Amino acid sequence: MPPRSVLPVPARFEKCFPRILACPAISGYVFSMPQETVISARHVFKTYGQLKAVNDLEFTVNRSTCCGFLGPNGAGKSTMMKMLYAKASPDKNPATVIDVFGHDPRRHELRIKSMSGVAPQDDNLDEELSVIQNLRVFGRLYGIPRGLTDDRIEELLEFMELSSKKPARIRELSGGMRRRLIIARALMNNPELLILDEPTTGLDPQVRQLIWDKLRGLKNDGVTILLTTHYMEEAFQIADEVIIMDHGRKIMEGNPHTLLETQMEAHVLEVLNKQAAVEIDGALRDIVRREEAAERVLYYSHEHSALEQMAEGMRHGEYYLRRTTLEDLFLRATGRNLHEE
Amino acid sequence: MKSSSSRGRHPQPTFLMRIGAVFFRHFRVYSRNLLSNGLPPFLEPLIMLVGIGLGLGAYITKMNGVPYIKFLASGLLVSTAMFTAAFECSFGTFIRLEFDKVYDGMLTAPITVNNLLVGEMLWAGAKGFFFTFAVMVIVVLAGILPIGVVYPVPVIGFLTGVMFAAFSLFITSFVQTINHFNFYFSGFISPMFFFSGVFFPLTNLPGWVRPIAEALPLTHVVRLSRGICLSEADPQLLFDLVYVLLFTLGFGAIAIRRLKRRLID
Repeated sequence: MPPRSVLPVPARFEKCFPRILACPAISGYVFSMPQETVISARHVFKTYGQLKAVNDLEFTVNRSTCCGFLGPNGAGKSTMMKMLYAKASPDKNPATVIDVFGHDPRRHELRIKSMSGVAPQDDNLDEELSVIQNLRVFGRLYGIPRGLTDDRIEELLEFMELSSKKPARIRELSGGMRRRLIIARALMNNPELLILDEPTTGLDPQVRQLIWDKLRGLKNDGVTILLTTHYMEEAFQIADEVIIMDHGRKIMEGNPHTLLETQMEAHVLEVLNKQAAVEIDGALRDIVRREEAAERVLYYSHEHSALEQMAEGMRHGEYYLRRTTLEDLFLRATGRNLHEE
Repeated sequence: MKSSSSRGRHPQPTFLMRIGAVFFRHFRVYSRNLLSNGLPPFLEPLIMLVGIGLGLGAYITKMNGVPYIKFLASGLLVSTAMFTAAFECSFGTFIRLEFDKVYDGMLTAPITVNNLLVGEMLWAGAKGFFFTFAVMVIVVLAGILPIGVVYPVPVIGFLTGVMFAAFSLFITSFVQTINHFNFYFSGFISPMFFFSGVFFPLTNLPGWVRPIAEALPLTHVVRLSRGICLSEADPQLLFDLVYVLLFTLGFGAIAIRRLKRRLID
């Protein structure tokens, strides 16, 4: 988050240059703009039969920030995203409030979709069309004037490093290229809001880095980004705020760095095999916390030296001494791993 | 990233633009294989008319006082529109719905399920128009019917296309595996092809079959087509038209309601 300045925004400036002020770099450093909430949800429920996919969820998202929904499969992240653009409808409940840029998806689905781009989790590119035709169809769907569509496509293919694949058939693309094309498709209308459902799941590290770079660029451009992920690395890399979810509920939220600093010990000694685990010696008992996850035993501490001391007796390859991550935080909050079903 | 259109201005596309986008998608797919998609509509009726018309026509010269080849042509004009619409909105729709997830992709853009499915029906109608037009070209070139009489018949082809699109979407809304469509085609579409007055008049059928034949949707569009081709202005045609409209609206509305439940979680 950029530091807040003390300069008030001149009213006339705000009126004349709203786009400049929407850019966080400028509004944050030059003027003291209050953070503007653009998405808010309260008391959102979604039930599938017996399953409570989303259970009384509440959150807000500020303009031009990236909010990451972190949680294992089935936590309700995708369902919540779908409810924002009316692909899923929330349970009928008078207390439910969903507001996306001033519109309720239950009533103004088209308004929201006109200003948003969505990259769903499933690969739903049109296999019967080529790369450029896929984008042209979306140009039409967004009502982009015909003369502008092809320029926009050129721009986006270049941005997503897909220019050489313009005439290609969809089945000729690799998984990473498909994902990038889906993101390019979501950007056709130059959206205010970008919703990405697991944008890098199953991709190799280089493509993942590339996508993260692009998303950071878009955020600096003023786009508000919502993404779901079960990679803590991803949330850490691009999210300003994370909402950690489990079983349809929010269990924690905040800036990922702040969350780790305030909620977790700095270091963890991860013992990969239960048999190799050791008892915590008397003196260390106050500064080391033990946790178990399946076959692993984890020792958490703010003191690196304490964990080093414990690892002394262990064989090389049996343990792993590292900094704590959001994954550890999730484990502490739920007693489970992020990647467990 | 430099942008050719500025962020912050996102006009909502009009209804016509949304339907147009669905058309655009289908037209791109259809015109991709222009030869394999565009030729059969002309060849099929030709084969049918030559095969049945000449072969069977040698034995049956007149049907209800009309030369058999004319009688047959006036039925084939719309049955071809039925087949194309039925395939498009059963197998085609199911693949877009369940396998390729094309609809899920499109629904991220500003279009509602309602718009999308109305677009599907109108596209099937347009295909019906084109297929009927193709038969008309053959029928006119072969000198079977004069152009001055048959030219309005592609409009009936359009109505036929929309009607069978609506009904096929209704069927699709129940289908869980693509093989189930075999029942639809062998159990409903094919028998209807033979009991809707395309090949012989319904008046010759046994008494108990007639009400069934009268209830079939193809019967009514065949009658409308024949009315135009043979220049017979029967007031009953008005009833046929009303049947077609009500059938289309009724099944179309139920189909949309049911498919919406499958597309929106």
